[in-house]
Amino acid sequence: MSLIHKRLKGTEIFKAVFLLRHIKCRGNVSAYFVMKKLTSLFSLSIIIMIMVSMRTNAQISPGNLTLAHAKLEGLSNCTKCHVLGKQVENFKCLDCHTEIKQLIDEGKGYHASSDVKNQKCYKCHSEHHGRNFRIINFDPNKFDHNKTGFRLDGKHTQIKCEDCHQTKFIINTTLFDKRSGTYLGLSTKCVSCHEDVHQNTLGTNCSSCHNTVKFNPAVFFNHNNAKFKLTGAHTKVECIKCHVKETFNGKTFQKFVGLDFKNCMPCHADVHKGQLGNNCVKCHNDESFLVVNRNSFDHDKTRYPLRGAHVEVSCKSCHGNIPLSKPKFAKCTDCHKDEHFGEFTVNHVVEDCKNCHTVESFKSTIFTIQEHNKGNFELTDAHLAVPCQSCHYKSNEKQWHFKNTGTRCIDCHNNVHGSELTAKFLPDNKCQSCHVTDDWNKINFNHDLTSFKLEGKHAEISCADCHEQKSAGGKIIFKFASTKSDCVTCHNDVHFGQFNSEKTDDIPVCEKCHGFDNWKPVKFDHEKTAFALKGAHEKVKCSDCHKKVTVDGNEFIQYKLKDFKCAACHS
Amino acid sequence: MTKTVHRFYIASFFLITITATLVLSIEGFNYYKTPLVDRFFSPLDTLLKPSGLIGHGLGIIGSLMMIFGVAIYMIRKRVRYFHKFGYLKHWLEFHIFLCTLGPILILFHTAFKFGGIVAVSFWSMVAVVISGAIGKFIYTQVPHTIQGQMISLHELNSLSENLSQELKNDYGLSDKIISKIEQISSLDRYKRLKFGASMALVIQDYFGTKNVLNMLKKELRVANVHKIQRKKILKTAKEKLVISRRIGLLNTTQKILKYWHVIHLPFAIIMFIIMFVHIAVEIIFGYTWIFK
Repeated sequence: MSLIHKRLKGTEIFKAVFLLRHIKCRGNVSAYFVMKKLTSLFSLSIIIMIMVSMRTNAQISPGNLTLAHAKLEGLSNCTKCHVLGKQVENFKCLDCHTEIKQLIDEGKGYHASSDVKNQKCYKCHSEHHGRNFRIINFDPNKFDHNKTGFRLDGKHTQIKCEDCHQTKFIINTTLFDKRSGTYLGLSTKCVSCHEDVHQNTLGTNCSSCHNTVKFNPAVFFNHNNAKFKLTGAHTKVECIKCHVKETFNGKTFQKFVGLDFKNCMPCHADVHKGQLGNNCVKCHNDESFLVVNRNSFDHDKTRYPLRGAHVEVSCKSCHGNIPLSKPKFAKCTDCHKDEHFGEFTVNHVVEDCKNCHTVESFKSTIFTIQEHNKGNFELTDAHLAVPCQSCHYKSNEKQWHFKNTGTRCIDCHNNVHGSELTAKFLPDNKCQSCHVTDDWNKINFNHDLTSFKLEGKHAEISCADCHEQKSAGGKIIFKFASTKSDCVTCHNDVHFGQFNSEKTDDIPVCEKCHGFDNWKPVKFDHEKTAFALKGAHEKVKCSDCHKKVTVDGNEFIQYKLKDFKCAACHS
Repeated sequence: MTKTVHRFYIASFFLITITATLVLSIEGFNYYKTPLVDRFFSPLDTLLKPSGLIGHGLGIIGSLMMIFGVAIYMIRKRVRYFHKFGYLKHWLEFHIFLCTLGPILILFHTAFKFGGIVAVSFWSMVAVVISGAIGKFIYTQVPHTIQGQMISLHELNSLSENLSQELKNDYGLSDKIISKIEQISSLDRYKRLKFGASMALVIQDYFGTKNVLNMLKKELRVANVHKIQRKKILKTAKEKLVISRRIGLLNTTQKILKYWHVIHLPFAIIMFIIMFVHIAVEIIFGYTWIFK
């Protein structure tokens, strides 16, 4: 017991009572101390375990919160996230994460997508996994951006997340604190990330014109929806031609709205320099500037008003394919070919066509007979009625000739007489020796110049009676040189050669009996025949002695009687 | 319970425990080896996390097994009415089974993540299990009847004497071997030994016994003793040596067993208290497993 007293020094009554009870029960003092040591050891173990647990600062927590939530550690904070009896409810998360709540309420963003909206937050954003736990386990390569309400397509599929998800692009500065690394706060509007190169002149609905593959060209843009519809050649013109780049607000700017298109002038240069007004469409259409509306184009406003046949001439004929070309018009030959091949060249300069032609027609001419008569061939008589081409158009050449046409008849007329006219009667091929210009058939010829002087009835008959014959083909053949002077050349021998025996060289045998006034044998003297008429014979009719006979089928009066016996006539 | 039924009884405990451990280890290997910060992203997380369908279930089942295993053994041991239900040894074995498998399930319930105040419960549980294993060793060092009652020193001496006679007379071992066995089983070696020295001696004896038995094995082989006979002799000699050691250490082991209870039971109480707190907290926060 002394030992007990020694041990009790400075100890509590409690220990003493416990010791006494133990001794009473066990009867062993050393066992008490062993037990005491073991109890101390046990207590120490418990304390160590509690301290280890306390070091984790977790108490009843199943694990450390992530760094972002570290301020919520501690027993007093459990219900800031947890709802008693209901684990964790979304509203607890959203009480703090108001930016997410706002997005969900507005139906925007990934958390408002149908796949995510009704999920528990902790299904993706679990906790109590340690400070370094990735509470936002975001894998850019697996994230379905379509669920955010902003479908990634075109170029957007090729760029990095951080190209768009930058702090500077966050638009809602009041809600989002622009913390780095956030994917929230962007607008789906293109201009939230892209520069509005149109400088707010076209609104913010970029996708109405552009796609995400390529900004230029604006594939969805339909110019027909614009105030200025593109038609004709305008559809082929590059945009920049009308929508030129300029500097606006210190930046390069391409103007698409507010362009003046009341008329063509703002875009097109006035090649007419204001001379034709500014209503271009009156003459031009938008298919081609080169195509001019003739009906509305007033050529009178030009220096060369169209007149006569020029009115009907196509523009191209003078202007070629370039209406803007300025053809010379001082002389006709500026446009027209010299159909006369320089025949009217004077001193190497082609005389103007207006001397002969008008714009009404090239074929008609104002070259008068008086003008013609000033030349070396005066038109007179029948020539006055002859059309120009009769003399000036060479059908074989199909060519008009006016110069060196010749003034001789033969230059225009054919010599229908050929060799029938000898040089004596056609000196220098001058037809004037017989013909006159008032009538071709009017012959002015002195037949006395020939060896056959026209006497009697010969002077009364037409030339054709002796000099014209019809060929087998019915063609009239003029006979002059070949016309002999004997009577039978023109007249028939009704006596069938009865007087051939009386031919002499001095005169034709017919002329021995006949004259030129009629067919009466005025020169016949029966006395000079072999049977002179005497007596009653003088009173006898010729036909009493000269009877009609038929010899070889030819019926004629027989004048040359061979038998003068009386009985030959008298019975 | 016959010996065969008892063997089956024990074997089934082993089989269930080992199978459960293997199945959980193999199936959950990939998950449990995953670092804590990455586990959430494992497809197995929803099942094997502490609040998962399987993980939470393991916790509940493991806890119930421990509660049941402790309660049923204590009742059987301490309430006289239940003394008539089976041998205490068998109840102890059932207690050991439930309180081994239960902590294993709890271990998988924790998913090898030990933090918070509930870790005190966990480590208390570990302490209880380890102390239980030690206790079982100490328990075996104290000879008991099949009813679980301690055998007296006198009875042990009688048993030891019988075995010596058996070795001498029945198997005709040489005096040299007999004297060696007697030497190592001499009770004088265990007199006045303190607790620490006793433990050292136990360890020394473990290897000493093996040496003697090896030596005996050689002798018997040289003496050309038949194989079956040789086995019986070795078994008898081993029994003799074990009984002698237990006789020598009986007083010490009986003391240790008393002290052991000071460790085992309070840890269990701590474990249960914090475990109930843990369970209460989880239920309050709405984690009710399949019981919604």
